[in-house]
Amino acid sequence: MSAYSLWVMEFAAVPNYPLSGLVYGAHNQGTRKLPYCYIVIKGQGRVAMVDVGYNHKAYGEVLANTYGVKGWHPPKTVLGEIGIAPEDVSSIFITHSHFDHMGNIEDFPKATFYIQERELSKWVWTMSLERRFRWLMLGIDPADIMRVVDLARQHRLVCVDGDRANVLPGVDLHAAFDTHTWGCMYVRVRNDLAANSQDSFIFCGDLAYTQENLRGFDPNDPEYIPVGLATGSQFNLVMTTEKMVNLVGGDIQRVIPPHEERLKDLYPSRITKNGLRISELALANGEKSQVR
Amino acid sequence: MPTAEALSHLVDDATVVYILENRRYFEDLRQIASQLAGLLVLAAAGSKESTSDHPMLTAAFQLHRDATDGLRRARPTLRARRHHEHVLEAASHLADALAAAERRLADVDPILIPLRAGYAALRQAANALPGFEIISFERACCGIHLPNEVKPA
Repeated sequence: MSAYSLWVMEFAAVPNYPLSGLVYGAHNQGTRKLPYCYIVIKGQGRVAMVDVGYNHKAYGEVLANTYGVKGWHPPKTVLGEIGIAPEDVSSIFITHSHFDHMGNIEDFPKATFYIQERELSKWVWTMSLERRFRWLMLGIDPADIMRVVDLARQHRLVCVDGDRANVLPGVDLHAAFDTHTWGCMYVRVRNDLAANSQDSFIFCGDLAYTQENLRGFDPNDPEYIPVGLATGSQFNLVMTTEKMVNLVGGDIQRVIPPHEERLKDLYPSRITKNGLRISELALANGEKSQVR
Repeated sequence: MPTAEALSHLVDDATVVYILENRRYFEDLRQIASQLAGLLVLAAAGSKESTSDHPMLTAAFQLHRDATDGLRRARPTLRARRHHEHVLEAASHLADALAAAERRLADVDPILIPLRAGYAALRQAANALPGFEIISFERACCGIHLPNEVKPA
């Protein structure tokens, strides 16, 4: 019996994304579809999400015209496919501060946002550095920082310092410092609500983009291969992957990278009338399937 | 960022020169906006570090002086004129935000309002000419790769 329904909901995609951008060292190995997805956690009388996507109003056209992002649809349309409105979302866990994960704060007006304190403080520190360090700011939209100011003033910002268990019943936040970014975190849903859960899912943000990050290219001889971008270190990414895999009992199919198109091969899914995929990882007691 | 050669397919040579000469000042203004926003985060979070003599504020003032001087020296082509107007407007709003921050960092609105206006002007500037990006998408993890393809603004 599941405590939460869990969906991965596509809201845009890059149809042809180089694999080398997803898996460290995978040069000249072609492209694959890179979906941008919301993670929806519904149950126990609430709706939560992991990350909020990018700000289409601000730079959607640039992403579409220059960087090949296609098919964007607003949260109202995407979440509407499962009968949820953005205003229904009460908790949002920001895995890290890149534009495509926290750019769309303003579309979720009633949510409280959780982010690692280190992610914010290291941002601010980075901004104090001289121009030659600007690589450290890539993927950061200064406008997002202004939105965080508003969240703090509205008492809708919770700065988390390290791991935090049961931020919602059965939902834990785990810090992954100095990995993809300074203050990354991942979200574990213990869907049986048990302390020693046998039914967990991990939502890993960009700590893994694809299954190859979790198992390598040879299923008979698995290995961890980190994502390409680490503001922290590849070592920390690999060791974090080990922790995440252990938390789901070694079943890597339960570590969910939001940019992985092939979730459709692992879980029931459907394509909406707008051409966006919904994958259904679990259904809470009494919840109707949204993909069948 | 697109190279001079890539830009030359989109705008005339004199405008390419304008872009190359002024890109740095645009990035400086973006950096100032980021620094101010960062200080506001510290203030909003009640950090002890959020004081008006924070070294980042001093650095932002210096950067603003340099950028404004450079932009005033710029000679925009007809094609670049709108961009130039937007960056000067951004510089003016950011000057107001900096002055407010110097007076009292804990007073958020007098800083945040011109800061937002300055950032909006920077965004308009980025939309007015190729070669100016408000976010560094190019080497970011999930926004990369239509290489060497720059659409006319």
